[in-house]
Amino acid sequence: MKKIAISSVMLILVPLLSLGDEYVVISNKNIKELSQSEIKAIFLKKLTLIDAIAVVPVNLEAGDSLRVKFEEKLLDMSFERLKSYWTKEHYLGHRPPVNMKSEESIKAFVKKVDGAIGYINANSVDDGVKVLYKWSD
Amino acid sequence: MFKIITVLALVLSLYAEEEYRLGEGVQVASLPFFVGGYFSSDYRNMNNENRYRLDDIAVIGYGSYDKFSYMAEFEYKAFYVETYTGDTKNITRDTKIHTERVYLDYKLDENYMFRVGKYSNPIGFWNLLPVNVLRDTTSTPVSVNILFPKFTTGASASYSSYDEGELKIDLMIQNNNDLDHDYNNYIVDKHYGFNLSYEQGDYTLKANGGYFRNVMSYDPSEADEPYESLTNPEELYYFLLSGKYDTQKYQFLSEIGTQRKESEITTNYAGYIQGLYHFTEQHAGILRVESYDDKLNNKSDAIAIVGHTYRPIYPVAIKSEYQFHSLHAENQFLFSLSVMF
Repeated sequence: MKKIAISSVMLILVPLLSLGDEYVVISNKNIKELSQSEIKAIFLKKLTLIDAIAVVPVNLEAGDSLRVKFEEKLLDMSFERLKSYWTKEHYLGHRPPVNMKSEESIKAFVKKVDGAIGYINANSVDDGVKVLYKWSD
Repeated sequence: MFKIITVLALVLSLYAEEEYRLGEGVQVASLPFFVGGYFSSDYRNMNNENRYRLDDIAVIGYGSYDKFSYMAEFEYKAFYVETYTGDTKNITRDTKIHTERVYLDYKLDENYMFRVGKYSNPIGFWNLLPVNVLRDTTSTPVSVNILFPKFTTGASASYSSYDEGELKIDLMIQNNNDLDHDYNNYIVDKHYGFNLSYEQGDYTLKANGGYFRNVMSYDPSEADEPYESLTNPEELYYFLLSGKYDTQKYQFLSEIGTQRKESEITTNYAGYIQGLYHFTEQHAGILRVESYDDKLNNKSDAIAIVGHTYRPIYPVAIKSEYQFHSLHAENQFLFSLSVMF
């Protein structure tokens, strides 16, 4: 009986423990639903207007672990590849997204600015922002 | 004037809001105005000739405000060239400032954009990044120089959509003389062209076609008057297909096209296939095979190029390459140093 109880607890706990952290791409509430490829195009500054609103993508600082996860998952690009991308885009007259120091500043910026879009840990989400995309480790 | 503007921009950039990073330019004060630039120097050894060249010294400025954005690029081309043929030394200097690009963009909505001014034609892949530091090799494939005009002075309209992949359509229109006419591979007074591009994941495919009217011939041996008006301007048509497969570790790139007049073929074919492999983040090896049959200049060749590029950081490129030509007299070694600011 004891073995069965332990096995049952393990069966419930192991999958829970193996679940990674969850992250979300958030936007100001006036932005419409966006596909993953549209989010990628916004962070690569290929798409700069959505329904006549200028979109403002915001990144965490270079080297931030969540930024690395976002760039690998959503943009499918390494730091080095992005570096070469932005050097080429500089020649074409485009700037990389602005950086912010913390997830809290991104959330505050997204709430305040029309067209703002960023990414934070899923457990920091509140009613003031819209969730566009969710992923986990 | 050029020097005054450059110095003024650099002084104002001390008040920039963003920290400067090499290869990304710098903001001038808090204005919607960013400045940057690039330079390129190279060495060529070919057929008993050694050439040292300070080629490009360029300044670019750009910015955006609301639905408008702009770009300007001015440069010295072949600024200083020192050539040794046997015991003979020859030095040439071109101190004219050329206008490479000047244009204004207007974004109508998320799909449509309009442009007026002088711009690089979105034909193939190579022509959009024509500066040494951004290229994979010091040399440019011959097909990029002979099939179509590199620049248009006129207008363009673009459509983009982002669904499963990225679809882009561009229309290019010119019905006037070139701005800075000696800074284009063809001197044209008409150009109507299209670009169709589709990108999904690591793959991109492009198709280009168009018509242009070449109004002047160019003879570099006539140093004082290298351009001469053609009594009968050439009406030329081009078509180009290109494809790219691009991953973190390697890249395959290919462009192939043809050019003709109404009554005859002027270039049967011109194209290349290139493979690039990143040994590390800093080192890449390049192998390119080119071939062309140019009836207009009565020249055909097959070329194999083996190259190496070292980038200690991305905006700095140190490249070397060796070219094996079927026209053996054109076998050559190239070395270059280029930097993007």
